[in-house]
Amino acid sequence: MKKLDKQTLMGIRDQFGSYAWDDAEISELVDPQLGIITGFQELLDQLEVLRKIDLEAMPPAGDIITK
Amino acid sequence: MSASPAFAPITEINLRLRNGDLSAIELVNLYTDRIERFGEISKAFISLDTKSALSKAEIIDESFKDDLPLNGIPYACKDLFDVKGLPTTAGSQVLQDNVAQQDAAAIKCMNQAGAICIGKNNLHEFAYGATGENTLYGTVPNPYDQSRLAGGSSSGSAAAVGFGLCAAALGTDTGGSVRAPAALCGLVGFKPTYGRISTEGVIPYSWTLDHVGTLTRSVADVGLLFDSLALESQPPVQKGLDNLTIGIPESFFFNRCDSEILDSIDALMNFLRQAGANLKPVSMPSMEYTRTVSLTVQMPEALSYHNRYLEQRGHLYSQDFRAGLALGQCLLAEQYIRAKRFIETYRNDMGKVFAEVDVLLTPATPVIAPKIGVVEVTVDGYSEPAGNAITRYTSFFNMTGHPAITLPCGLHGEGLPIGAQLVGRHFGDEQLIDIAEQIESCYDFELPLPNLD
Repeated sequence: MKKLDKQTLMGIRDQFGSYAWDDAEISELVDPQLGIITGFQELLDQLEVLRKIDLEAMPPAGDIITK
Repeated sequence: MSASPAFAPITEINLRLRNGDLSAIELVNLYTDRIERFGEISKAFISLDTKSALSKAEIIDESFKDDLPLNGIPYACKDLFDVKGLPTTAGSQVLQDNVAQQDAAAIKCMNQAGAICIGKNNLHEFAYGATGENTLYGTVPNPYDQSRLAGGSSSGSAAAVGFGLCAAALGTDTGGSVRAPAALCGLVGFKPTYGRISTEGVIPYSWTLDHVGTLTRSVADVGLLFDSLALESQPPVQKGLDNLTIGIPESFFFNRCDSEILDSIDALMNFLRQAGANLKPVSMPSMEYTRTVSLTVQMPEALSYHNRYLEQRGHLYSQDFRAGLALGQCLLAEQYIRAKRFIETYRNDMGKVFAEVDVLLTPATPVIAPKIGVVEVTVDGYSEPAGNAITRYTSFFNMTGHPAITLPCGLHGEGLPIGAQLVGRHFGDEQLIDIAEQIESCYDFELPLPNLD
């Protein structure tokens, strides 16, 4: 998986009907400087590991049912 | 009995109210006097409802009803709960003009039980964060050391009870936001099985992880509150300590933990063994990616709710919450669904664990209350953000939806409380409270009150 770049997130913002996040906020996600969000790239890397785990037919969690 | 009702549990206040030793008006006045004295230091309250509290107390005193379990008991709630006629700010500039038109379901339950709401508590803005830092209303200090955090996000609720400004408080818990601050402030924190207390009328942070919970001085008080708040109550399956199987997680929950906290939990485990309980090591699901899974659910859910305010009021959010919402925007739907599927695997795995044990025992937090302003904490050479550390042992059970309670079990050399966490089976809330109450009454440990003078 390639490293996340700012253009990708700007594309989501501009072409996916997203809220108009500031350029600075998008930069912070890609290249954290302020220490507000740390490790978005790390989060994506971990999600990529999870993507490769076969959950078979496990459904998403729903309400907890009394048994 | 405690000398002052300011630090007495509800069970004791109830006796005084019923035998005429104390009136509801005297009680409200006692707490409002203390709020005048400690309100600014504690930063516990965003708004007060003194006039209405006194009127209600007057009515209660005129014709005291013994059958109402919380009659005349002053409490506070996190400023996410709607209380009719009061602003619900969520600790944010975004909702400064948001006056509630009706009571949240939990507030209605408290009213029906006779309790008196005296005000609304400070919090981490929109419950986003476990440090309780709030640029608008101030960072809430710990009653045991005011240079340290109360913890959050129900920071003001913990401080309100911890500083002796009310008898109990309601909070919300999405990753430990009731249990962790309660533990750091020497209180009892409880979150029920997911859904057993209604979240209607409470500003959401993450719908599928949010739980309404309680902060009290004793486990017995949790029982009183839960009886009043639960959508359906059921009698506990009663088991003595000598007939219990207590699961001790083999991994994660005792890792990278302050050594004095581990010593306190060891001492509690020894007591439980001597009381006849069977302590059984249990294998837990892999915790390696649980924070990733939780975040992947939290942030898109939070963004989805806050979209209603972003266009008009986006500039009023704090910088850190906006950054979190922006992250929520950039996650994919399949990643969210996959995270929910992992949560289902966690629930299935925990179902197997609870087939073998009655409850689990863990430390409540791996650290004592961090200093205010500290960004990272280090244990065993490993550094992590303070908020992550505070909720490291609690957040998993928001995903699985199991009931969990934290209670004081030790005093750290730094003078800060240490807490233990007990986790019960789905819908085993009453049994969990019963077990915790037995431990509270039999274990030879009493946390000293904070020295506030």
